[in-house]
Amino acid sequence: MAIAFYILALLIIVSALGVISMKNPIHSAMCLIVTFLGVAGIFATLEAHFLATVQIIIYAGAIMVLVMFVIMLLNLKYEANTTLDYLFWIIGAVGCIAFVAITSQLFLNSMLVPLDYQAGSVGTVANIGRVLFTKYVFAFEAAGILIMAAIVGSIVVAKSVKGREE
Amino acid sequence: MVSLSSYLILSATLFAIGTLGFIIRRNALVVFMCVELMLNSVNIAFVAFARAHGNLDGEISVFFVMVVAAAEAAIGLAIVIALFRNIQSVETSDAVELKW
Repeated sequence: MAIAFYILALLIIVSALGVISMKNPIHSAMCLIVTFLGVAGIFATLEAHFLATVQIIIYAGAIMVLVMFVIMLLNLKYEANTTLDYLFWIIGAVGCIAFVAITSQLFLNSMLVPLDYQAGSVGTVANIGRVLFTKYVFAFEAAGILIMAAIVGSIVVAKSVKGREE
Repeated sequence: MVSLSSYLILSATLFAIGTLGFIIRRNALVVFMCVELMLNSVNIAFVAFARAHGNLDGEISVFFVMVVAAAEAAIGLAIVIALFRNIQSVETSDAVELKW
């Protein structure tokens, strides 16, 4: 289990760095798919089976297909001035490395419980479904309304405004 | 057995990378992808804590984060399309006018 975690962590970090450093948005999106698959693997090592599956279906499937569609629809040229801000890159990188260093020290020195502190129900589809449709059923229905509003809203926002102007 | 802090450090690293990209990149689509990276890093922390404490509330939270991320993806990409239709660019530095 430990070796799987370290391989997946390396994969996630390398591909996430790829997302922010590739010049072509298509390449960024490809790296992002690898990141999502790595996160799905991390969920699997934490015995969250349902979330690992949903991560692949929703993120690596639906959301990334949507992103790919938009990139190809817009017919983008390469980002013209990715490298102009070396100063920004350096300041941002220093800040982010400092953030990781400080939080790592915090996590390593604080009294965290071990990973198998309390045995409980693992995240199988049956267990998640039982909680989702009893304790969180109101939030679940509200999420449905949110998705509905998002679909209608995205159609309204992306619709051509030519008809209104003429 | 990997410790809980390893998962949290991975989560913090992924969040930092997402933040870095969000600050540095000019392409609105890549900025959007960096937001997704940050959401994923938080999901890792949620699932790790849920595993440690042996209850499913954290995993339910991740499920709702995914739902909101899907809604955000639809709306965000629609905004990018509307932006491109108006200024023929998705560079955030080109979107400087409130009304035109």
